[in-house]
Amino acid sequence: MILTGPAIADAVACGDIVIDPFDPACLSPNAYDWHLGNELRIAAGPLDAARPSRFIERRIPPTGVVLQPGRLYLGTTAEHTASTRYAQLLNGDHGTGSLGVFVHVSAPLGHQGHAIRWTLEIRAAQPVRVYPGMCFGKLVFLNVCGELASYQQRGAKYAATVGAGTSRLFEEFS
Amino acid sequence: MILTGPEIAAAQRDGRLRIDPFDLAAVNPNSYNLRLGPTLLQYNVPVLDAARPNPTREMTVGESGVVLQPGRLYLGHTIETAGSDVFVPLLFGRSSVGRLGLFVEITAPIGDIGFHGQWTLMLHPTVAVRVYAGMRISQIMFFLSKGPIDTYSGKYQHADGPRSSASWQDLVALGVGASS
Repeated sequence: MILTGPAIADAVACGDIVIDPFDPACLSPNAYDWHLGNELRIAAGPLDAARPSRFIERRIPPTGVVLQPGRLYLGTTAEHTASTRYAQLLNGDHGTGSLGVFVHVSAPLGHQGHAIRWTLEIRAAQPVRVYPGMCFGKLVFLNVCGELASYQQRGAKYAATVGAGTSRLFEEFS
Repeated sequence: MILTGPEIAAAQRDGRLRIDPFDLAAVNPNSYNLRLGPTLLQYNVPVLDAARPNPTREMTVGESGVVLQPGRLYLGHTIETAGSDVFVPLLFGRSSVGRLGLFVEITAPIGDIGFHGQWTLMLHPTVAVRVYAGMRISQIMFFLSKGPIDTYSGKYQHADGPRSSASWQDLVALGVGASS
């Protein structure tokens, strides 16, 4: 089941969900409207699943940045979110999608125990200027079924990231 | 939890959701097939700007269809209006359309409880593909919600035809882009 906006507000009030910073005006009927953070990492050179990736780091100025199609940008959410009780799905919204902006690459799920500023895997269908702090998508919270299994107890790679984290898939190669 | 097809049909009958026009033959085991409408929008500017209204050009899909080009973004719409004041709607492409390499939405599948209108489709082909008005292009599905309901009253309510991004309205309110 997907939490309604008022249910998200209640869960924030009792600590079952952390959204920081939290603005009640960003609650929508069944999601929280999250914002684009001001850091970007841009892939530099070929990517290799078995090796650490090389990325250039850039700060998005208040005047925005033009995203080019065919490039991969790692960004972050402005908000830090956490929940041990609920699973999370991070997506774009009508505003970003209808500008041709993908906010992730087929990886929307935040597991229980995630306590992160999300890494965004941003792609653009057409050149588009985006701005730090702009509303960039919806975060949905899902009720779970079964015994709790928090990401925090597994030594998971991305359980507590604070910025745009590059892929650490290479750690699974030995 | 996601609704079954029979429950979608029952909810259509008792008003928990509204799809118009509704055709029982379009009900799937867990979703309902929505058709592509005749109007497409393309942005008219080389670089889109989230902080400004971006001018668009309207195209009509004729009987022989239209070829969508890779690397381009087209905003389409569903023929049907669809929404619910109870369930959370999600819209995705059909797998038959996915197998043609056509994205039907762009990481924004989740709608709002209380939205009623035609859905904007964010069409982005990976290879050139011809599409036709009236083809069954997407699927809407409905999830149970938990908690008190405060229905949608946002920018895209009662959409009729494709709706371009209204992000600029929020950014103007924040003072971004207004002076430049």
